[in-house]
Amino acid sequence: MFSTSTQKKHWTFTGETQITQNKKDTNHKYVNKHGGANLDDETKEKKYLTFTEERILGRHFEHVLREFCNVFQPPMPKYVMGTAMCYFKRFYVKHSVMDYHPKDIMLTCVYLASKVEEFNVSITQFVGNLKGDRDKFTNIILSFELMLMKKLHYHLTVHNPYRPLEGLIIDLKTRYKSIEKSRIEKIRKLAEDFLDKSLASNVSLVFAPSQIALAAILSSAENDKVSLDSYMSDVLLAGAAPEDVKKTVYQIKRIRYMVSTQEPVQKDQVGPIQRKLEHCRNQENNPDSEIYKRKLQEMLDDEDEIQSQKRMRIEEAEKKAEQELVLGVI
Amino acid sequence: MDDQGCPRCKTTKYRNPSLKLLVNICGHSLCESCVDLLFIKGSGACPECGTALRRSNFRLQLFEDPYVEKEVDIRKKILRDFNKKEDDFNNLNDYNDYLEMIETIVFNLANNIDVEETRKMIDQYKKENKEQISKGRAKMSKDEEYLEMLIGQEKQDSETRRQIEEEDEKRQKNNKLKNKEALIDELMFSDMSAKDIIAIHKHDLEKEDIEIESSLPQQPATQFSTGIRLGAQNAFLPVPDEKIEIYKYSPIHVDLCGPELQEEEKLISLGYLRNVRATSDSEKAGGFDTKFSCQRALQDAFCGLFYFPVAPQMDQS
Repeated sequence: MFSTSTQKKHWTFTGETQITQNKKDTNHKYVNKHGGANLDDETKEKKYLTFTEERILGRHFEHVLREFCNVFQPPMPKYVMGTAMCYFKRFYVKHSVMDYHPKDIMLTCVYLASKVEEFNVSITQFVGNLKGDRDKFTNIILSFELMLMKKLHYHLTVHNPYRPLEGLIIDLKTRYKSIEKSRIEKIRKLAEDFLDKSLASNVSLVFAPSQIALAAILSSAENDKVSLDSYMSDVLLAGAAPEDVKKTVYQIKRIRYMVSTQEPVQKDQVGPIQRKLEHCRNQENNPDSEIYKRKLQEMLDDEDEIQSQKRMRIEEAEKKAEQELVLGVI
Repeated sequence: MDDQGCPRCKTTKYRNPSLKLLVNICGHSLCESCVDLLFIKGSGACPECGTALRRSNFRLQLFEDPYVEKEVDIRKKILRDFNKKEDDFNNLNDYNDYLEMIETIVFNLANNIDVEETRKMIDQYKKENKEQISKGRAKMSKDEEYLEMLIGQEKQDSETRRQIEEEDEKRQKNNKLKNKEALIDELMFSDMSAKDIIAIHKHDLEKEDIEIESSLPQQPATQFSTGIRLGAQNAFLPVPDEKIEIYKYSPIHVDLCGPELQEEEKLISLGYLRNVRATSDSEKAGGFDTKFSCQRALQDAFCGLFYFPVAPQMDQS
């Protein structure tokens, strides 16, 4: 239930302004941490990605994520995509694009979401949807998966607006008899399109899923030239405090505004930004870099060492016991 | 693999399934044949630790670990002298200290730590508490006495029961014999027809049977076969008389943060279920009901509708 969820407690922001502020902070933090603290603004801009560039890149990869989910084989339910999108957005609120490359995180998000939402695909099946070096993709996804969960603070349950939409339509069919059911089915189709569109915006980080679903229904009803005003006032929100009604209506307005006024994905700028990113990204988190490989190797070595030390200790103890036994007999 | 074996001749249980391991007070095991060989004279030294042992003290090893055997041995011996009960102490702390002391002594002896000192301590304790020890032993025997008494009583009871049964049987036999004779007598001397006589007799017999049955003394059971009196359990096992607060169910209240939800029972009457996909037979078999999915969808739809993280500011619209 949303009202008791971690989504409400930790991952809902007051609005676009707060999200932007958070992202700017993480960008700033990254630049300062990776040798940009004493540079003047101009060199900083040349060397590192600016906040705007980060956003363009982020939006681009969100788009790629959606495309990837849409053509995924076997066909993927919508809520898996919603959850994956949510992970992706949450992750980049707290982390800079330069810290972790979105192309890696994107795949890991989808993989993790398919697990959490019980959409059962194996990793081989999963990378089968990708072109290129599949072993490498497997390694990347599996090595980032645990990190991603940790960075999401293991808040893996995502409340998507799809079920609330279902609920609202059931309620509409049952309690609002003045429109015929075929009309409602049409509205449902349009509402689903609205939800798809809303995935590209940040509404899932700001509003309750039920509010988004309600906004979807109201907007699609309007597009279909059906008025649901009396449903809102006499059925759904009947008996609610006038203050609540007013605020709900306002929230829905905000959602519709946010969904309808999205900046387009600027594909032409992505290339240069990606090239720039190659120079300023955190090499420790780049699966292709030497540093990353060394770190991974060190981690494995450490594990090996601990294991072999353990083995040595056991062997020694055994040897000692044997010797004592032999000496004891003589 | 069973690696239990005699440390001297290296025979293992695997190679010789009839191997019998014996153990003496020092806690080192030896197999039966080694004991026979080494202790022909009746006494000798343990091949492992050199303790002087007597052949008669060898016992069958019950535990796989001879150390446990030794510890049990020592504990038995120590507890014979250190036999104070909890009632003998003023408070629980003293009793616990006493128990700890016993454990320390047992541990020391079993692991050969400060053996001399520990033995001295035991001797001193024995001297100081001579009276107490003998009293403790007497007390223990009182318990045993009580048990014996119970067993005796039970024996007696079964004996009397047997006697009663025997007597019964005898009497019945006599009765049968008498009846038979009476029947023959009557057949011989009576004027009635044989058929009638037999019928009357049969009737009398049945009557008598019933009488015997009802006259049998039905002793009400006053105690269990173990000798515990009926209804006297409380005296035997004191049930802790604690007052526990009885659990009271209070329904979970979840703040939906939205408009009021229809009650589950009303879903049908309001016609909600007509707008939900019906459950298939296999789903029904699995215990699934349309109501659940419908309820969940509605709950999700209503939950959070009135969620306003902050008073809506004019943030961009």
